[in-house]
Amino acid sequence: MNKLGVTLVVIVVVIVAGVAFSLYSPPSETANLDMGRTHGTISTAMGSPILGDPLAPITIVEFGDYQCEMCYRWFHTSKPLIVENYIETGKANLVFVDLAFLGRDSSKAAQATYCAEDQGRYWAFHDLLYNSQERVDDGWANSERLKAFAFSLDLDMELFDSCLDSGKYLKRIDYNIQQAKKHGVNSTPTFVVVGNDQEKQISGAQPFSVFKQILDTMV
Amino acid sequence: MTSAINLVFSNSKYLLLSAVIFSSMLVGLLILSEYVFINPYVVSHIPSGTEFGFVLIVAISALSALVLPMNIFRINTLKKSKQKMGGSVFGSVVGAAAGACSCGPIGFAVISTFGSVGATATAFLTNYEIPIRMIAVGILAVTYFTTVKSIKTECAFDPDL
Repeated sequence: MNKLGVTLVVIVVVIVAGVAFSLYSPPSETANLDMGRTHGTISTAMGSPILGDPLAPITIVEFGDYQCEMCYRWFHTSKPLIVENYIETGKANLVFVDLAFLGRDSSKAAQATYCAEDQGRYWAFHDLLYNSQERVDDGWANSERLKAFAFSLDLDMELFDSCLDSGKYLKRIDYNIQQAKKHGVNSTPTFVVVGNDQEKQISGAQPFSVFKQILDTMV
Repeated sequence: MTSAINLVFSNSKYLLLSAVIFSSMLVGLLILSEYVFINPYVVSHIPSGTEFGFVLIVAISALSALVLPMNIFRINTLKKSKQKMGGSVFGSVVGAAAGACSCGPIGFAVISTFGSVGATATAFLTNYEIPIRMIAVGILAVTYFTTVKSIKTECAFDPDL
Protein backbone atom coordinates (compact mmCIF):
# COMPACT_ATOMS: atom_id res chain seq x y z
CA MET A 1 0.00 0.00 0.00
CA ASN A 2 1.46 3.33 -0.97
CA LYS A 3 1.74 6.41 1.24
CA LEU A 4 -1.47 7.94 -0.11
CA GLY A 5 -3.38 4.79 0.68
CA VAL A 6 -2.11 4.71 4.27
CA THR A 7 -3.00 8.37 4.73
CA LEU A 8 -6.52 7.77 3.39
CA VAL A 9 -7.02 4.80 5.71
CA VAL A 10 -5.83 6.87 8.70
CA ILE A 11 -8.19 9.70 7.77
CA VAL A 12 -11.14 7.32 7.39
CA VAL A 13 -10.34 5.65 10.72
CA VAL A 14 -10.13 9.04 12.47
CA ILE A 15 -13.44 10.17 10.97
CA VAL A 16 -15.20 6.91 11.88
CA ALA A 17 -13.76 7.06 15.42
CA GLY A 18 -14.88 10.68 15.76
CA VAL A 19 -18.42 9.90 14.60
CA ALA A 20 -18.58 6.87 16.90
CA PHE A 21 -17.35 8.91 19.87
CA SER A 22 -19.88 11.67 19.26
CA LEU A 23 -22.67 9.09 19.04
CA TYR A 24 -21.76 7.12 22.13
CA SER A 25 -20.42 9.77 24.51
CA PRO A 26 -22.96 11.12 27.01
CA PRO A 27 -24.60 14.40 25.93
CA SER A 28 -22.51 17.25 27.24
CA GLU A 29 -24.10 20.09 29.19
CA THR A 30 -23.72 23.37 27.42
CA ALA A 31 -24.22 26.68 29.14
CA ASN A 32 -27.02 28.81 27.79
CA LEU A 33 -25.56 31.49 25.57
CA ASP A 34 -28.90 32.77 24.27
CA MET A 35 -29.49 35.94 26.24
CA GLY A 36 -32.88 36.31 24.63
CA ARG A 37 -34.09 32.84 25.57
CA THR A 38 -37.75 32.80 26.49
CA HIS A 39 -40.31 30.12 27.16
CA GLY A 40 -43.77 31.53 26.59
CA THR A 41 -43.76 34.90 28.28
CA ILE A 42 -41.01 33.94 30.74
CA SER A 43 -37.43 35.01 30.18
CA THR A 44 -35.34 31.97 31.05
CA ALA A 45 -32.12 33.47 29.70
CA MET A 46 -30.61 33.55 33.20
CA GLY A 47 -32.05 30.20 34.26
CA SER A 48 -30.54 26.75 34.13
CA PRO A 49 -29.37 24.93 31.02
CA ILE A 50 -32.21 22.97 29.43
CA LEU A 51 -32.68 19.46 30.82
CA GLY A 52 -33.68 17.23 27.94
CA ASP A 53 -34.19 17.90 24.27
CA PRO A 54 -34.11 21.67 23.60
CA LEU A 55 -36.47 21.09 20.68
CA ALA A 56 -39.10 19.26 22.74
CA PRO A 57 -42.58 20.71 22.16
CA ILE A 58 -43.23 21.36 25.85
CA THR A 59 -41.09 23.14 28.43
CA ILE A 60 -41.63 22.90 32.16
CA VAL A 61 -40.27 26.01 33.87
CA GLU A 62 -39.67 25.28 37.55
CA PHE A 63 -39.30 28.13 40.02
CA GLY A 64 -37.55 26.76 43.08
CA ASP A 65 -35.36 27.29 46.12
CA TYR A 66 -32.69 24.80 47.17
CA GLN A 67 -33.71 25.15 50.82
CA CYS A 68 -37.41 24.62 50.19
CA GLU A 69 -38.74 21.40 51.69
CA MET A 70 -41.60 21.20 49.18
CA CYS A 71 -39.12 21.48 46.30
CA TYR A 72 -37.21 18.59 47.88
CA ARG A 73 -40.46 16.65 48.11
CA TRP A 74 -41.25 17.27 44.43
CA PHE A 75 -37.68 16.46 43.38
CA HIS A 76 -37.93 13.03 45.01
CA THR A 77 -41.53 12.11 44.17
CA SER A 78 -42.84 13.63 40.94
CA LYS A 79 -39.69 14.69 39.09
CA PRO A 80 -38.24 11.18 38.51
CA LEU A 81 -41.50 10.13 36.84
CA ILE A 82 -41.60 13.29 34.71
CA VAL A 83 -37.98 12.74 33.64
CA GLU A 84 -38.67 9.10 32.78
CA ASN A 85 -41.95 9.62 30.93
CA TYR A 86 -41.60 13.03 29.31
CA ILE A 87 -38.03 14.33 29.35
CA GLU A 88 -36.12 11.20 28.39
CA THR A 89 -38.70 10.47 25.68
CA GLY A 90 -38.24 13.93 24.15
CA LYS A 91 -41.83 15.03 24.80
CA ALA A 92 -40.79 17.80 27.20
CA ASN A 93 -37.79 19.56 28.64
CA LEU A 94 -37.22 21.39 31.91
CA VAL A 95 -35.66 24.69 32.92
CA PHE A 96 -35.00 25.67 36.54
CA VAL A 97 -35.34 29.33 37.48
CA ASP A 98 -34.26 30.38 40.97
CA LEU A 99 -36.71 31.91 43.39
CA ALA A 100 -34.18 31.95 46.21
CA PHE A 101 -36.03 33.62 49.08
CA LEU A 102 -36.21 31.27 52.04
CA GLY A 103 -32.97 32.02 53.88
CA ARG A 104 -29.56 33.61 53.68
CA ASP A 105 -28.01 30.45 52.17
CA SER A 106 -30.62 30.13 49.42
CA SER A 107 -29.01 32.70 47.12
CA LYS A 108 -25.51 31.32 47.72
CA ALA A 109 -26.67 27.81 46.85
CA ALA A 110 -28.27 29.07 43.64
CA GLN A 111 -25.11 30.99 42.72
CA ALA A 112 -23.05 27.85 43.29
CA THR A 113 -25.09 25.95 40.68
CA TYR A 114 -24.06 28.50 38.05
CA CYS A 115 -20.43 28.25 39.15
CA ALA A 116 -20.80 24.52 38.51
CA GLU A 117 -22.43 25.30 35.16
CA ASP A 118 -19.22 27.13 34.19
CA GLN A 119 -17.61 23.68 34.35
CA GLY A 120 -20.48 21.87 32.62
CA ARG A 121 -21.91 20.34 35.81
CA TYR A 122 -25.04 22.40 36.54
CA TRP A 123 -27.47 19.49 36.79
CA ALA A 124 -25.06 17.33 38.77
CA PHE A 125 -24.70 20.15 41.32
CA HIS A 126 -28.46 20.83 41.29
CA ASP A 127 -29.21 17.18 42.01
CA LEU A 128 -26.55 17.00 44.69
CA LEU A 129 -28.08 19.98 46.50
CA TYR A 130 -31.56 18.43 46.50
CA ASN A 131 -30.11 15.14 47.68
CA SER A 132 -28.26 16.88 50.52
CA GLN A 133 -30.96 19.26 51.76
CA GLU A 134 -31.30 19.73 55.50
CA ARG A 135 -32.99 22.43 57.59
CA VAL A 136 -33.24 26.03 56.41
CA ASP A 137 -30.04 27.99 57.14
CA ASP A 138 -28.61 25.34 59.47
CA GLY A 139 -25.30 25.47 57.59
CA TRP A 140 -25.84 22.66 55.08
CA ALA A 141 -25.68 25.18 52.19
CA ASN A 142 -23.13 27.66 53.50
CA SER A 143 -20.07 28.54 51.41
CA GLU A 144 -17.86 25.87 52.96
CA ARG A 145 -20.39 23.10 52.34
CA LEU A 146 -21.04 24.32 48.79
CA LYS A 147 -17.31 24.15 48.12
CA ALA A 148 -17.25 20.65 49.61
CA PHE A 149 -20.05 19.64 47.23
CA ALA A 150 -18.04 21.05 44.32
CA PHE A 151 -14.99 19.09 45.48
CA SER A 152 -17.05 15.89 45.61
CA LEU A 153 -18.01 16.47 41.96
CA ASP A 154 -14.33 16.83 40.99
CA LEU A 155 -14.76 20.42 39.88
CA ASP A 156 -11.77 22.71 39.41
CA MET A 157 -11.73 24.15 42.92
CA GLU A 158 -9.73 27.24 42.08
CA LEU A 159 -12.27 28.27 39.47
CA PHE A 160 -15.25 27.33 41.63
CA ASP A 161 -13.99 29.10 44.76
CA SER A 162 -13.19 32.32 42.92
CA CYS A 163 -16.58 32.22 41.20
CA LEU A 164 -18.51 31.66 44.43
CA ASP A 165 -16.50 34.10 46.56
CA SER A 166 -16.73 36.88 43.98
CA GLY A 167 -20.54 36.77 43.87
CA LYS A 168 -20.25 36.56 40.10
CA TYR A 169 -23.81 35.26 39.69
CA LEU A 170 -25.59 37.33 42.33
CA LYS A 171 -27.26 39.53 39.71
CA ARG A 172 -28.30 36.44 37.76
CA ILE A 173 -30.18 35.16 40.81
CA ASP A 174 -31.75 38.58 41.37
CA TYR A 175 -32.88 38.61 37.74
CA ASN A 176 -34.48 35.19 38.14
CA ILE A 177 -36.26 36.28 41.31
CA GLN A 178 -37.60 39.33 39.45
CA GLN A 179 -38.82 37.06 36.64
CA ALA A 180 -40.69 34.94 39.18
CA LYS A 181 -42.30 37.99 40.79
CA LYS A 182 -43.17 39.42 37.38
CA HIS A 183 -45.17 36.28 36.63
CA GLY A 184 -46.97 36.29 39.96
CA VAL A 185 -45.04 33.36 41.39
CA ASN A 186 -45.19 33.60 45.18
CA SER A 187 -44.29 30.13 46.37
CA THR A 188 -41.89 27.33 45.59
CA PRO A 189 -42.03 25.09 43.78
CA THR A 190 -44.19 26.68 41.09
CA PHE A 191 -44.25 25.35 37.56
CA VAL A 192 -45.27 26.96 34.31
CA VAL A 193 -45.89 24.41 31.60
CA VAL A 194 -45.35 26.02 28.20
CA GLY A 195 -46.39 24.42 24.93
CA ASN A 196 -48.90 24.57 22.10
CA ASP A 197 -49.20 28.35 22.58
CA GLN A 198 -50.46 27.71 26.10
CA GLU A 199 -49.08 28.40 29.56
CA LYS A 200 -50.43 26.51 32.54
CA GLN A 201 -49.31 27.19 36.09
CA ILE A 202 -49.05 24.51 38.76
CA SER A 203 -48.30 25.66 42.31
CA GLY A 204 -46.81 23.37 44.90
CA ALA A 205 -45.24 19.93 45.03
CA GLN A 206 -48.14 18.37 43.18
CA PRO A 207 -48.19 14.65 42.35
CA PHE A 208 -47.16 13.23 38.98
CA SER A 209 -50.80 12.55 38.05
CA VAL A 210 -51.48 16.31 37.85
CA PHE A 211 -48.49 16.90 35.57
CA LYS A 212 -49.45 13.92 33.44
CA GLN A 213 -52.97 15.24 32.98
CA ILE A 214 -51.68 18.66 31.86
CA LEU A 215 -48.76 17.42 29.76
CA ASP A 216 -50.90 14.85 27.92
CA THR A 217 -53.31 17.54 26.80
CA MET A 218 -50.39 19.55 25.39
CA VAL A 219 -48.34 16.84 23.66
CA MET B 1 -65.48 12.76 80.89
CA THR B 2 -68.06 11.39 78.47
CA SER B 3 -70.80 13.18 80.40
CA ALA B 4 -69.06 16.53 79.97
CA ILE B 5 -68.81 15.94 76.23
CA ASN B 6 -72.46 14.83 76.11
CA LEU B 7 -73.51 17.89 78.09
CA VAL B 8 -71.80 20.30 75.68
CA PHE B 9 -72.51 18.58 72.41
CA SER B 10 -76.13 17.71 73.16
CA ASN B 11 -76.67 21.30 72.09
CA SER B 12 -76.66 21.26 68.29
CA LYS B 13 -75.21 24.77 68.22
CA TYR B 14 -71.93 23.48 69.75
CA LEU B 15 -71.99 20.39 67.57
CA LEU B 16 -72.25 22.58 64.48
CA LEU B 17 -69.49 24.86 65.77
CA SER B 18 -67.28 21.82 66.33
CA ALA B 19 -67.93 20.53 62.81
CA VAL B 20 -67.12 23.93 61.32
CA ILE B 21 -63.88 24.24 63.33
CA PHE B 22 -62.77 20.70 62.43
CA SER B 23 -63.51 20.92 58.74
CA SER B 24 -62.09 24.42 58.23
CA MET B 25 -58.90 23.67 60.20
CA LEU B 26 -58.40 20.31 58.54
CA VAL B 27 -58.93 21.55 54.99
CA GLY B 28 -56.94 24.75 55.60
CA LEU B 29 -53.96 22.98 57.13
CA LEU B 30 -53.96 20.19 54.56
CA ILE B 31 -53.88 22.77 51.77
CA LEU B 32 -51.16 24.85 53.47
CA SER B 33 -49.05 21.77 54.11
CA GLU B 34 -49.61 20.58 50.52
CA TYR B 35 -51.43 17.37 51.30
CA VAL B 36 -54.40 18.64 49.29
CA PHE B 37 -54.32 20.75 46.13
CA ILE B 38 -57.29 22.53 44.67
CA ASN B 39 -55.75 24.04 41.55
CA PRO B 40 -55.79 23.03 38.68
CA TYR B 41 -57.51 19.87 40.00
CA VAL B 42 -58.68 18.80 43.42
CA VAL B 43 -56.22 16.10 44.42
CA SER B 44 -54.85 14.70 47.67
CA HIS B 45 -51.34 13.42 48.04
CA ILE B 46 -49.46 12.05 51.06
CA PRO B 47 -45.83 11.50 50.02
CA SER B 48 -43.99 8.76 51.87
CA GLY B 49 -42.20 10.07 54.94
CA THR B 50 -44.80 12.75 55.61
CA GLU B 51 -47.48 10.52 57.17
CA PHE B 52 -46.74 11.63 60.75
CA GLY B 53 -47.20 15.29 59.78
CA PHE B 54 -50.58 14.36 58.30
CA VAL B 55 -51.64 12.55 61.51
CA LEU B 56 -50.63 15.57 63.62
CA ILE B 57 -52.77 17.88 61.47
CA VAL B 58 -55.78 15.60 61.94
CA ALA B 59 -55.09 15.46 65.71
CA ILE B 60 -54.81 19.25 66.03
CA SER B 61 -58.01 19.77 64.04
CA ALA B 62 -59.91 17.18 66.09
CA LEU B 63 -58.68 18.47 69.46
CA SER B 64 -59.39 22.09 68.48
CA ALA B 65 -62.89 21.07 67.41
CA LEU B 66 -63.38 19.42 70.79
CA VAL B 67 -61.79 21.96 73.11
CA LEU B 68 -62.85 25.29 71.60
CA PRO B 69 -66.65 24.62 71.72
CA MET B 70 -66.31 23.25 75.26
CA ASN B 71 -64.61 26.45 76.39
CA ILE B 72 -67.18 28.60 74.62
CA PHE B 73 -69.86 26.55 76.42
CA ARG B 74 -68.17 27.29 79.75
CA ILE B 75 -68.10 31.00 79.01
CA ASN B 76 -71.64 31.22 77.64
CA THR B 77 -73.50 28.83 79.92
CA LEU B 78 -71.56 29.05 83.12
CA LYS B 79 -70.56 32.70 82.67
CA LYS B 80 -67.01 31.83 83.65
CA SER B 81 -63.91 33.82 82.87
CA LYS B 82 -62.22 33.56 79.49
CA GLN B 83 -58.92 32.64 81.11
CA LYS B 84 -59.03 28.94 80.23
CA MET B 85 -60.02 29.72 76.67
CA GLY B 86 -56.44 30.95 76.17
CA GLY B 87 -54.90 27.47 76.22
CA SER B 88 -57.15 26.11 73.51
CA VAL B 89 -56.79 29.16 71.27
CA PHE B 90 -53.01 29.21 71.81
CA GLY B 91 -52.69 25.49 71.06
CA SER B 92 -54.77 25.81 67.90
CA VAL B 93 -52.89 28.85 66.63
CA VAL B 94 -49.44 27.39 67.37
CA GLY B 95 -50.42 24.11 65.70
CA ALA B 96 -51.76 25.94 62.68
CA ALA B 97 -48.77 28.28 62.34
CA ALA B 98 -46.14 25.52 62.37
CA GLY B 99 -45.16 24.71 58.85
CA ALA B 100 -47.84 26.96 57.42
CA CYS B 101 -45.20 29.48 56.35
CA SER B 102 -42.63 27.17 54.77
CA CYS B 103 -42.12 27.88 51.06
CA GLY B 104 -45.76 28.68 50.38
CA PRO B 105 -47.38 32.05 49.68
CA ILE B 106 -47.64 32.90 53.41
CA GLY B 107 -43.91 32.38 53.93
CA PHE B 108 -43.17 34.39 50.80
CA ALA B 109 -45.39 37.25 52.00
CA VAL B 110 -43.89 37.18 55.51
CA ILE B 111 -40.30 37.24 54.19
CA SER B 112 -41.08 39.90 51.57
CA THR B 113 -42.68 42.12 54.22
CA PHE B 114 -40.42 41.59 57.23
CA GLY B 115 -37.11 40.77 55.54
CA SER B 116 -34.52 38.91 57.59
CA VAL B 117 -36.68 38.89 60.74
CA GLY B 118 -39.48 37.27 58.76
CA ALA B 119 -37.02 34.82 57.22
CA THR B 120 -35.74 33.82 60.68
CA ALA B 121 -39.28 33.32 62.01
CA THR B 122 -40.30 31.36 58.92
CA ALA B 123 -37.17 29.21 59.11
CA PHE B 124 -37.91 28.42 62.77
CA LEU B 125 -41.54 27.47 62.08
CA THR B 126 -40.47 25.35 59.10
CA ASN B 127 -37.50 23.61 60.72
CA TYR B 128 -39.41 22.70 63.88
CA GLU B 129 -42.79 22.01 62.29
CA ILE B 130 -43.23 18.52 63.74
CA PRO B 131 -42.05 19.30 67.33
CA ILE B 132 -44.18 22.48 67.37
CA ARG B 133 -47.24 20.55 66.22
CA MET B 134 -46.56 17.91 68.89
CA ILE B 135 -46.39 20.65 71.54
CA ALA B 136 -49.67 22.08 70.18
CA VAL B 137 -51.30 18.64 70.52
CA GLY B 138 -49.97 18.48 74.10
CA ILE B 139 -51.35 21.93 74.96
CA LEU B 140 -54.75 21.05 73.48
CA ALA B 141 -54.82 17.69 75.31
CA VAL B 142 -54.02 19.34 78.66
CA THR B 143 -56.61 22.05 77.97
CA TYR B 144 -59.15 19.35 77.15
CA PHE B 145 -58.69 17.56 80.46
CA THR B 146 -58.71 20.76 82.52
CA THR B 147 -61.84 21.92 80.69
CA VAL B 148 -63.66 18.64 81.32
CA LYS B 149 -62.66 18.80 84.99
CA SER B 150 -63.79 22.39 85.18
CA ILE B 151 -67.18 21.66 83.58
CA LYS B 152 -67.70 18.72 85.95
CA THR B 153 -66.89 20.84 88.99
CA GLU B 154 -68.77 23.94 87.89
CA CYS B 155 -71.84 22.01 86.79
CA ALA B 156 -71.54 19.77 89.88
CA PHE B 157 -73.14 16.82 88.16
CA ASP B 158 -72.62 13.22 89.19
CA PRO B 159 -70.88 11.49 86.29
CA ASP B 160 -72.28 8.11 87.41
CA LEU B 161 -75.87 9.18 86.98
